[in-house]
Amino acid sequence: MRISYEWLSDFLDLSGVTPKDAADVLTRLGVEVESLTLVDLSQIVIGKVLEQKPHPKSRNPLWIHQVDVGGRVMQIIAGAPNAVPGTVVPVALPGTTVPNGKLVKDMNIAGEKASGMLASAAELMLGDDHSGILILDRGTPGEPLTSVIPSQAIMEAEITSNRPDCMGHLGVARELAAGLDRPLKRDFMPAFTGTADPPGRDLVKVAIDEPDLCRRYIGGVIKDVRVGPSPDWMQRRLRACGVRPINNIVDITNYVLLEYAQPLHAFDLNKLEGPEIHVRRARAKEKLLCLDGVERELTAEMLAIADANRPVAIAGVIGGADSAVTPESTDILLESANFNGSSVRQTARSLGLRTEASARFERALPPELALAGARRAAALIAELAGGQVHREWADVYPRPQEPVRVNLRPALIDEVLGTHVPLEDAESILKRLNFHVKVQGGGEWDVLPPVFRLDVSIPEDLVEEVGRIYGYDRVPPTLPGRRHDRWTPIGPSIDRRLDDAREVLAGAGYTETWNPALVSGRKLEDLRIAAHAMRVTNALSDDMDTLRTSLLPSLLGAVAVNRDHGRVDVRLYEIASAYLARVGGKSTQPEEPLRLAAVASAGTSADQGRKAFYGLKSVLDACTAALSAPASTYQRAAAQLYHPGRCAAVVIDGRQLGYLGELHPSVTTSAKVEGRMVAFEIDVEPLLAIARISRAQPLPRFPAVERDVAVVVEETVAAGAILAAIKESAGELLEHVGAFDEYRGTQVPDGHKSIAFTLTFRSPERTLTDAEVDRVMSEIKLGLEKRHRARFRE
Amino acid sequence: MIDASALVSQALAAIGKAQSPADLDRIEIEYLGRKSGHVSRLLSNIGALPAAEKAALGKAANEAKRDIEDALATRRAELEAGRLADLAETEAIDITFPGPALGRGHIHVLTQVRRQIETVLESLGYQVELGPEVETEWFNFEALNITAGHPARENWDSFYFSPELLLRAHTSPVQIRAMQRIKEPPIYIITPGRCYRRDAPEATRLPYFSQVEGLAVDKGLTVGDMKGTLLYMIQSLYGSDRKVRVRPSYFPFTEPSFEFDVSCGICGGVGCKSCRHKGWLEVGGCGMVHPQVLRNGGIDPGQWNGYAWGFGIERMAMLKHDVDDIRLFYESDLRFLEQF
Repeated sequence: MRISYEWLSDFLDLSGVTPKDAADVLTRLGVEVESLTLVDLSQIVIGKVLEQKPHPKSRNPLWIHQVDVGGRVMQIIAGAPNAVPGTVVPVALPGTTVPNGKLVKDMNIAGEKASGMLASAAELMLGDDHSGILILDRGTPGEPLTSVIPSQAIMEAEITSNRPDCMGHLGVARELAAGLDRPLKRDFMPAFTGTADPPGRDLVKVAIDEPDLCRRYIGGVIKDVRVGPSPDWMQRRLRACGVRPINNIVDITNYVLLEYAQPLHAFDLNKLEGPEIHVRRARAKEKLLCLDGVERELTAEMLAIADANRPVAIAGVIGGADSAVTPESTDILLESANFNGSSVRQTARSLGLRTEASARFERALPPELALAGARRAAALIAELAGGQVHREWADVYPRPQEPVRVNLRPALIDEVLGTHVPLEDAESILKRLNFHVKVQGGGEWDVLPPVFRLDVSIPEDLVEEVGRIYGYDRVPPTLPGRRHDRWTPIGPSIDRRLDDAREVLAGAGYTETWNPALVSGRKLEDLRIAAHAMRVTNALSDDMDTLRTSLLPSLLGAVAVNRDHGRVDVRLYEIASAYLARVGGKSTQPEEPLRLAAVASAGTSADQGRKAFYGLKSVLDACTAALSAPASTYQRAAAQLYHPGRCAAVVIDGRQLGYLGELHPSVTTSAKVEGRMVAFEIDVEPLLAIARISRAQPLPRFPAVERDVAVVVEETVAAGAILAAIKESAGELLEHVGAFDEYRGTQVPDGHKSIAFTLTFRSPERTLTDAEVDRVMSEIKLGLEKRHRARFRE
Repeated sequence: MIDASALVSQALAAIGKAQSPADLDRIEIEYLGRKSGHVSRLLSNIGALPAAEKAALGKAANEAKRDIEDALATRRAELEAGRLADLAETEAIDITFPGPALGRGHIHVLTQVRRQIETVLESLGYQVELGPEVETEWFNFEALNITAGHPARENWDSFYFSPELLLRAHTSPVQIRAMQRIKEPPIYIITPGRCYRRDAPEATRLPYFSQVEGLAVDKGLTVGDMKGTLLYMIQSLYGSDRKVRVRPSYFPFTEPSFEFDVSCGICGGVGCKSCRHKGWLEVGGCGMVHPQVLRNGGIDPGQWNGYAWGFGIERMAMLKHDVDDIRLFYESDLRFLEQF
């Protein structure tokens, strides 16, 4: 909300308090001032236009003015036509900088001399209006502009949703006065000024059909008003707060909204049929031409203000054009109501129309505020538009606001804050904020919050009131510490345990990524991994409408991004959850298995892909080893996303944790990734669950014996099968067996391959003899011959 | 036939002239070789000599062998010392030549920052608690005192799967779950994790982000304790010259509620371009846990009270590493990720 410093000074003495000081005090007590714009008008002078004629040569329409700036006349050229002779205008002389930053210089425009500039409200930063020169209603030529318009300071403040009372200058001023400990000059409830007969409630019939959506409706009747422009000071304040002046009646309703935070609306009483007001739900297909010139179709969800026949306003959002106050209006109905916050929010949202009024109603205004706002507006209308305010308004208020009392044990203040606030300070603070404090016999305080503070209902709320005015800066920081007889032993978090895998991956050249969990559901469908996908019902866009069921598409997308930047060899991984809807419906919480997934470039040829596959196995094996989990076995498998001939199920301790393999060519192609990619994706929680603390083994005391053997088998025999057979035949003396070469060619029959293995033998008890090892090797070979019809190459 | 002493002088002369270990190896074989070395040959005819001469010759030969061995060892040591002394010239390399790229991978900057945060808070006894990202309406809103129709709800505009199920807008539901699980305070936990809000992506916010929230429930906790905890955390992460201020604010789940700011690291708090002349940078929200929220977690607010805070991991990383666009964290661009 925009707050004018100059406006605040209506309500409290701000002498010695600069706008910056005021902004700091407000920020510290909870009205966060996000920016402060100072508008220095002291360089601008007042001028009187003596003569205006069109520029003879200029292609664009320009006007040449002779302006009296106090003792001398300057020739000033402007584009706007409204500075007619006789008007008083702000003039920026050559060499000055206008508040919006423009430096004014002597110029020559199409052969005509131009000195200085006539300024618009926008150029002076007095509002958003840049359609014409700002016309002043008074001022002496040559005097500084500040003689009629004070320099401005506008604060942009963020009002928290619990403080709708601070959505107006009076509420903010009250906070500031409490913070500065200065008296507030204005009472919350203005006096009622209506005296004219007959009673207002006899002139218009008001009925609330939906008491849940409208807690109060005040309809004030004011007759014989003269509609015209509002005074300069009011227009200026409205502009400063971003509101466009229209006429005195509309301006007064907006002014009171900006002052009291109570939205008001003025109807032309003579255009209301009846005249009657019905606060009712809109009927389906009812239409309203609104004040902004847009015709809107209403729904039964929306609350309407209707006369005897038709809607005349959308409650709390915007008024209708047909019943609006015009220059011809004489009698008005002043609406000051209290509408339900949620209902106004929904209506504003479904119309896509957030107004100053709806922004305030949304936050649940106190119904008592409606009366204060109505009285203030009536007084201003009487003063500035000369109306007759009728007595005894219609005020339908079926369920009046209940006063709230809060019992406070004052020691709670010190207990919660952690510092000592003298009781008299605390009491004084509450009183400054218009709370009523009565000290009870037992020392407890019976506190009555002001009617405009619906946010205060429990003792902690009062502690907050005291704390924020007392100043949280005065609370010394401490660390808690108490002797506990109970605790929970700490273990490393899952993520911290996974750091062991991160170290392995970093060493292997893999970089960690964090990718969005919301992805395109359509893409998951195309990849055929959407079976358990959870789709959000109110997505921002199609490409973020579904929770991912696999990390791999995100990682492939990340590869594509980096390929675009010229990276060929890309290795990435991610540790994050996948989301899988449970059987039995998508309205129960899904499984969120934590996954580790990695992708790596795998060249372009089939052989490069094969090697990359084995390379990635080493990476995964190193990760599981680093996590102290048992070694994985790999079983031929078929899985979505993977190459049908190059995919393995990763099995640890008899449990399948995921897959490793080359990605299917159609998957890489659809991700716009060229070449082959290898990848794995495994569930890490079961992996961590079976991790064991490494137990130290005694170091070997006797030397090892190594033997190599090249095994020739048919193509269909898998290396894993040979390894298993070797281990089975070798017995306990075999310490390790690894494969180191695969060969196909002239020395091997067609349809066969040769795989070379290195076997390491060792006994924990003695040095092995060649004869012993030869015996074991024979056993192994025999086993391989029998099992796999193997032959051996020397 | 030459005698032993002449042999020794001859050998010593040769040793003195030797310029390399290889020369010395040759000399050693020439004189001390087992079969054809000069010293061995000296003894070749010893069998024919009378006993007295036999002994004398044997002794002389042994002495000669020892003298030559000593001289060899000394010269070897001299040559080695010389070689070591000359290494600066003989084996100098161009140390400015760049080493080959290691090709190491990088741990994501958000992981690094989350780790730092966890480490600091674990040092105060806080434990990591995790919870589901797809949450129920009750845990995400109701339990936190954000009732249906609450005007503050628009601050947590959420993605829904059904009227009852949504992507959590903060990690606060984990606080409720933790209270319900642990049941009896003391409770000191932190809840790192991903969150979601329906905000269009821009430089300062994303519809997905990560938070760390903290919760302490104990007896007699104060706003001062909360301030101290935040100050300890911020100074541990950013340096002991940083200050923390708490500003009154509003959240339905805390009372009193605050925003907490950290003094600008560039200007030290006096105001500069980087902190938009405020001197302070907004980091997160905090407050004393609302009694109703404790009740919803199954904790008796008559006996216990608590404080809680929360902030975005991205925000902390942006402040620490001068990152000006939050989207960079989730774009997986190696040119960015490899900077950390």
